[in-house]
Amino acid sequence: MKALMSVGALVGAIALLLLVGMILDVVPSNTVRLVEGYMPIQMLLEVACFVAGFTGLSYMLSSMGMAVPRFWQGIGFWAFVLLYLKFRVYPPIPFSVRAMYGTVSLVAVFMWVSANEDDWKKFKQPIMNVLDAQSGANKMLRYAYLVLIPVLVGFTSFNAMRPKSEEPVELRTVHPAPPASTKVHGKTYTLQTSQNPYRVNPEGKFDQEYSNKLIVEQGMGRLMAPNANPFDEKNQGYLKYVKEGGEIFFQNCHFCHGDNLNGRGLHAFAFNPIPANFTDPGTIAQLQETFIFWRVAKGGIGLPNEGFPWASVMPPWEQHLTVDEIWKVILFEYWHTGYYPRTWD
Amino acid sequence: MGLVTRKKVFSIMALCAMVGLLLFPVVVSLPSLAIGADAPDAAKKEDAKVEKGRDVYYKTEGIVVGAPAPKTVDGPKDYPRYNFESRVLLWFANQQHLYYGSFVLAVPIFCMVVEFMGVVTKDKALAKRYDQLAYDFIKISLTAYSLTAVLGGILIFTFLTLYPAFFGYLSSIFRPVMHIYALMFVAESGTLYIYYYGWDKMKEGFLKWIHLSMSVILNIIGTLLMFLANSWIGFMMSPAGVDEQGRFLGNIWHVLHTALWNPLNLHRILGNMAFGGGVVAAYAAYKFLASKTDEDRAHYDWMGYIAMALGVAFLIPLPFAGYWLMREVYAYRQQMGITLMGGLLAWLFIIQATMIGILFLSTNYYLWQAMGRMRGAEKYQRYIKYLVFILACGYLVFITPHTMVMTPAELKAMGGQQHPVLGNYGVMSAKNGGINVIITTTVLSFVWYMRGNKVSTVSWSKFGNIFMGCFFFFAYVNIIGLAIYGYYIPANVRVGLSVPQVATTLSCLFFMFALNSVMMKGAKQMGAIEWGKISARSQYALIMLATAFTWMMGLMGYIRSSVRLFWHVNEIMRDNSPWAYTHTVGFAANMISFNVLFFWISILFVFWLGSLAAKKVPAGEKAGVPGSAPQPAGSH
Repeated sequence: MKALMSVGALVGAIALLLLVGMILDVVPSNTVRLVEGYMPIQMLLEVACFVAGFTGLSYMLSSMGMAVPRFWQGIGFWAFVLLYLKFRVYPPIPFSVRAMYGTVSLVAVFMWVSANEDDWKKFKQPIMNVLDAQSGANKMLRYAYLVLIPVLVGFTSFNAMRPKSEEPVELRTVHPAPPASTKVHGKTYTLQTSQNPYRVNPEGKFDQEYSNKLIVEQGMGRLMAPNANPFDEKNQGYLKYVKEGGEIFFQNCHFCHGDNLNGRGLHAFAFNPIPANFTDPGTIAQLQETFIFWRVAKGGIGLPNEGFPWASVMPPWEQHLTVDEIWKVILFEYWHTGYYPRTWD
Repeated sequence: MGLVTRKKVFSIMALCAMVGLLLFPVVVSLPSLAIGADAPDAAKKEDAKVEKGRDVYYKTEGIVVGAPAPKTVDGPKDYPRYNFESRVLLWFANQQHLYYGSFVLAVPIFCMVVEFMGVVTKDKALAKRYDQLAYDFIKISLTAYSLTAVLGGILIFTFLTLYPAFFGYLSSIFRPVMHIYALMFVAESGTLYIYYYGWDKMKEGFLKWIHLSMSVILNIIGTLLMFLANSWIGFMMSPAGVDEQGRFLGNIWHVLHTALWNPLNLHRILGNMAFGGGVVAAYAAYKFLASKTDEDRAHYDWMGYIAMALGVAFLIPLPFAGYWLMREVYAYRQQMGITLMGGLLAWLFIIQATMIGILFLSTNYYLWQAMGRMRGAEKYQRYIKYLVFILACGYLVFITPHTMVMTPAELKAMGGQQHPVLGNYGVMSAKNGGINVIITTTVLSFVWYMRGNKVSTVSWSKFGNIFMGCFFFFAYVNIIGLAIYGYYIPANVRVGLSVPQVATTLSCLFFMFALNSVMMKGAKQMGAIEWGKISARSQYALIMLATAFTWMMGLMGYIRSSVRLFWHVNEIMRDNSPWAYTHTVGFAANMISFNVLFFWISILFVFWLGSLAAKKVPAGEKAGVPGSAPQPAGSH
């Protein structure tokens, strides 16, 4: 047990040193890389390692007679969560999300320190000591709080009310509900039943399974099936259409959506908001092809009311591309990102 | 005829009368059910003029027997109004009626369960306590019942006076159903009063069983009532039994049995039960905090625990029922599903996730606090911090929005709408994992609580403990593994992954509870549960549980209703009032908070009325001896 705790303490100490380095900007925040494709679970595992490390440290310090009071354990852990989110995770997390995480962590710390009566008493003790102010130091602290707390509240209020020049936050609806049907080049397409006519097998029939096997590996960009390179001139059917879609993409779309389809094209940062990132699992990966067809055809100007404030400069591509070209470019987007379009069967 | 025999005969007659009351509305309505109003008669007379229509949902043909849905225009004829937004008035009246309706439908089910536990329990003192508890429950609901009826009246008047065209259309479609509903309400009232006033007269032996049977009838009537009311909102969301113009096609079953009726029914039953449990638990918590004697504290501590346990028992399957409802919504209209989960109303779902998390966190916290009143549970205390960590991680994943609220500067710094790390938590695969982790942890907390003051004496206890530990460990691995795997497969397959995840969670619930019960049979007691010796914080957790549930009910009701957007009846009858727009999130949140506040203030009044009646009961007649409080069957 002691050996296990020692390992934990070691992990905790190293992790804390790294974090402090990141906070002081001595250690770059990507020293331990967040690996593409594994980032979400990596973050949770990292936090779990920190927790294990803190348990080990706490155990070791107690064994050495230098136990950290429960009050400071609670405050310290909460501070750690805030600092981890601010300095370790990159790119920076928006304040609204950090505030949510900070609140949940505070609640979690409260649940931990008050889970039983003994712990709660230990946690409260320093607060009660200051409130009772039986010693000189506590008396001084109490006076300090008497001044500091109103000042802090005043400053926070002032800061909140102070006129700012930055743009306000927006609650954008990124995926507004599509219409039941859309009319493109004089033909009406029912979104729930239409299919990409180029998602076909060698026999020329619509085949989702067939095309699913020929895409690249998600996040890695490697071919999933050998000899499934769409840029092979001999290709026919699905892969040929992917190539044609790719040509259309690089002639029209990549300036904004990027040559890696990650929304970081040449002009991307001239726009606000920047173009959609197709490699994110929350964009095309969770939409039907017909949804993409509708959005590409109608562009930002064709967003429905709920898409307010229409913050999109996406052109209505039906004015520049044929229906076939739109379907092919969609085929390419799914192939390149490695995602499967959503189906409703 | 002896007194006892006469009592038996009367009680059987009363039971038969209740069954009669239950069947009466159905029998009365049978002719209209069978023939679909007077359609065939009209058809015979004017055979040449028969017009047929196609059912918008069932796609069957039927004879048109109703008028088309009115095309309303904004004006005093279709939308008479005060100098105020009519929709908000309706919202308020509807929400209050729903709160009270849910409460008075849920509490009799609790009564039935608790009374049954009292009847089958061999320990006489405990049986008496259960019986008293059930009686306390029904007493609270009786005052609330009158208020429910009053609020129902207010709701109908609000509809009639502010939305006459819409209500006229709805009542023309549901004419027979509304009459059955009214008759069922009479049956419910009659049954409830006989059940309540017959309590003392039927408290022993055979008569008690008759009394218990009455509660079954009462609950059947109540549940049917709710099903009928659900059919109206089901029709408004996913109409059936009418053609494209909204003309009734003569088949009332089609109108009732819409695409969303069954999932709504299930979701509401479970929701009502969890809500009812929460309200009663909050009542007990309030009484506990106000108690001046150990005896009272012990009683209300126990009452709070039972109500919480019953409520949480229905809270656990509630997310799965909600999942089924959403699945059916998507199947019915994908636009509706996207509007709810990914579009206009998606932010409200993030708030909903936050509230669900609060419910489970409060439950866990209460259970940990409750372990403090039993000796021997200390051995679990030091592991609670790990449960907190698991719960917090599951919760954080569950509430992470896919599209974050941020300033344009933050957006640019982040490099896109979705955060490359946290954005992944915003999709369904991760959220399914998050909520299942939370529920599984709640099950684990319950298992710890149930074995808190006991040590298993079965010969295979060591093996049993290892097995349970492994079961939970692999359950977590399976749930999290499937959540990760969900990112690498097509969306339609991913949706199916929720089934093994839910199955894992439910396996933990059923198998581990069952195994734990077997292991703890004849277990060595480390000490009795000291009812009343629980921290005040636990009671605040119960109040938090109830408040969060009330708020969530208001929120979900609003989401379900506003998903129709600018339709009174989806795709059939358009809302042409000036208020056919979706409120801002802030306005909706304020309105929900106002409804919650009003409900709690009014229910406190109901509790106060109940306490006035209680004060008349001589102290000596109080049941149970809390000092030697037996352990309720529900806790172990």
